[in-house]
Amino acid sequence: MSALVEVEGLRVSLPGPNGPVTIVDGLDFTVEEGEIFGIAGESGSGKTMSALAMLRLLPPRAIVEGRIAYQGRELLALDNKSMRAVRGNEISMVFQDPMTSLHPMLTIGKSLTTQVRQHFGMSRAEARKRAIEMLAEVRIPDPEGALASYPHQFSGGMRQRIAIASALMCKPRLLIADEPTTALDVTVQAGVIRLLERLQRENGLSVILITHDLGVMSTAADRLTVMYAGRIVESGTTRRVLQDPWHPYTQGLLAALPRPDRSDDELVPIPGSPPTPALLPAGCAFHPRCPKVVDACRTAVPPLERIAGDRIACVVAAPIVTAEPTVDMKEGRS
Amino acid sequence: MSSSGAPALELTDVEVVYQRRHRSSVRAVAGASISVKPGQIVGLVGESGCGKSTLARAAVGLVAPSAGTVRFHGEPVKPLGLRSRSESLTGLQMVFQDPQSSLNPRRTVGSQLADALEIVRRTPRQGHPSRVDELLEQVGLPASASNRYPHQFSGGQRQRIAIARALAADPTVMVLDEPLSALDASAQAQVANLLVRLCRDLEIGMLLISHDLAIVNQVADEVAVMYLGLIVEQAPTGELWRTPRHPYTEALIGAIPQADGERSQPTVLPGEVPNPAAPPPGCRFHPRCPLAFDKCRTEAPPLLTVETGRTQACWLQRSDEPA
Repeated sequence: MSALVEVEGLRVSLPGPNGPVTIVDGLDFTVEEGEIFGIAGESGSGKTMSALAMLRLLPPRAIVEGRIAYQGRELLALDNKSMRAVRGNEISMVFQDPMTSLHPMLTIGKSLTTQVRQHFGMSRAEARKRAIEMLAEVRIPDPEGALASYPHQFSGGMRQRIAIASALMCKPRLLIADEPTTALDVTVQAGVIRLLERLQRENGLSVILITHDLGVMSTAADRLTVMYAGRIVESGTTRRVLQDPWHPYTQGLLAALPRPDRSDDELVPIPGSPPTPALLPAGCAFHPRCPKVVDACRTAVPPLERIAGDRIACVVAAPIVTAEPTVDMKEGRS
Repeated sequence: MSSSGAPALELTDVEVVYQRRHRSSVRAVAGASISVKPGQIVGLVGESGCGKSTLARAAVGLVAPSAGTVRFHGEPVKPLGLRSRSESLTGLQMVFQDPQSSLNPRRTVGSQLADALEIVRRTPRQGHPSRVDELLEQVGLPASASNRYPHQFSGGQRQRIAIARALAADPTVMVLDEPLSALDASAQAQVANLLVRLCRDLEIGMLLISHDLAIVNQVADEVAVMYLGLIVEQAPTGELWRTPRHPYTEALIGAIPQADGERSQPTVLPGEVPNPAAPPPGCRFHPRCPLAFDKCRTEAPPLLTVETGRTQACWLQRSDEPA
C-alpha cells in the first residue's frame, strides 16, 4: 500500500466579524491506496470543512493553507480547470442527505450521465450503459427503470445508494463519504456500509469515511482519526482507538454511548459542550471539559506526537502510552 | 419502576388516514394502542415511515385520528382547531426533533420562555422572570442564557431550551418526537439523562419517539415497536432487549453497530419498508421476515398479551396455534 493522499498542516479559516476564524488547524493524515480511512468527531469539529477543502469546494473567501497531495500532485496549486478534472473524476464525494445532493427535478439518468459526458465526452448510449452498470453495482433493482425515475420516488436508503452510484460514475480512486448513513435507518445503514466495503475490496476504492457515529466507524474503517475543535487529538487503527483509547476525549466519546449491558445506569456524557471556533480555550481546546486536566493543558497546545503508527495530542495520556510499547500496530485488515 | 395507577395519556385503537388528491389514501397508523403513566417513559421505535411521528402527532391532537380515541387524564384530546385549546389540555406538551426550527431564531430565549408562561398562565409577562430562570435551571442552563438567541447555543443546549419551553406549562405528559437524534453522542447522553431526571423528579409521563433503539433502551421503562402503522411488540425495556419475540424487533437490535473496534458486522434486514398506501397482505412484515411461513402471507397476526406486561403480534410465538 502506498499513500494516495497526503495532507499536511491543513488549515482552513473563514472571515469572521473580528478577523479570520480558524476552523481546521493543522490537519495531518495520509490515506493509503485501497483503505477506508475514518475521520470522527462531533459536529463543528471541522470534519466536513476538511473534506470540502480537499476538493476545493469552499467559498473563495475561505483561506486554505497547507499541503494536500493526491498521487503526488498538489491540489491547492492546481488551476481551476485542472481541479475540475480531478473533482468527480479522481476524487468524488457523497454527502449526508441524498435528498439535497440529488437534483429533485432531474431524472436519475440525467443526474448520472451528465458528468461522464462532461468528463469523458461519452456518447449518450455509452453514458447510459455506464449508469445502468453503476446502479446495478449498488444493487438498485431494475436499474433501467430507475434511470427514468426521480429522486423522490426512492426511499432514503435507495437514494443514498444512487448518490454513491453517481459518485462512482467516473470511476474515482478516492471517495469522500461525509456522514453517508446519518440520515438513514439503522436497518438500511448496514447495507450502505457493506456497499462501501465491497467497493473497497473488489475495486480497490479508497474511502475517507466521515462520521460522528463510532459504531459505524467500527464496522468499516481500517484506520481512524479523531478530531476536536479543528485539531486531530488521536489517530490509529480503528481497533486500537476504540478498544484502547488514549485521549481523554476519545475515552469520553466512547463512555457516552448507550451500552446494552449497562442500560440501568445513567449515561456518562462529557460535561459541557464543544467550544465555538471563534472562542477556543487557550492551551488544549478540550481542557475545560477534560477530567484529567493538569496545569500544562491550560497554557500550551499539546503537540501531536507520533508513537509508531499512532498519533496522540495529550500531555497527560502520552507518557502512559510510551510506557506500554506493546500495542500491536499491525491490527486491522491489510 | 415509578409508574403505577391510571394512565395519564391513553391512545386506544388509533387510526390516522391521510387523504391524497387523485390517489389512494394512506393509513399511516392502522390501529395502535399505547398508554403512558405518570413518571413513566414509554419508547416508541421503528423505521422512518412506520407511522411513529404520526402517532405522536395524534397523541397531542396535531392530527385528527380517523378512528380510535386519545385521552389525557380521561379527557378526550380534541384535535387542534381554530379555537384555543381547553386549559385542561395544557399539561400535554410536545417537543420536536429539530430545535433549530421549533425555536424562533430572532427572539431571545428568555422572551420565548416568557411567551409560553404568559399563554399558559394567562397573566402579564412581567411576573415571570424568576420562573424563566427556574426553567433554565431545570434543564441545566445558566440564567444568563435568557438574554441570548438560539443560534448562540449548541444543538444539545437548544434542545434543552425546547424542553424548558415545554416545561413552562407544568406538563404531566410530554410527547417527544426524536428529541435525541440530531445530537452528537455526548450531547445525546446529557439530554437523555435530563429526560430521565425530569421524569423521576416531576413525575412527568413521557412518550419518546425514536428510530434509535439503543438510546431508547437506555432511557425508557417500556418500549413499543412499530412497523408499517401497527405496533408489533411491546414489553418492559430490559426484557425486550434481552428476549425480543418479534423477528422485526430482533432485526432492529441486530442492525445496531457496536463501537467495539472488532469490525463486527451488523445484520442487514433485507428489503425496504413497503409503501403504507399498499401494505402487504397478512403480516405486514412477512416480505422481509426470515421466519415467514404460509400463514403469515395470508392472515394478519393479532396483537396478543403473551405474558404479563408483554404483547406481540407474530404467529410464531403462539405455540398452541397450528402453524
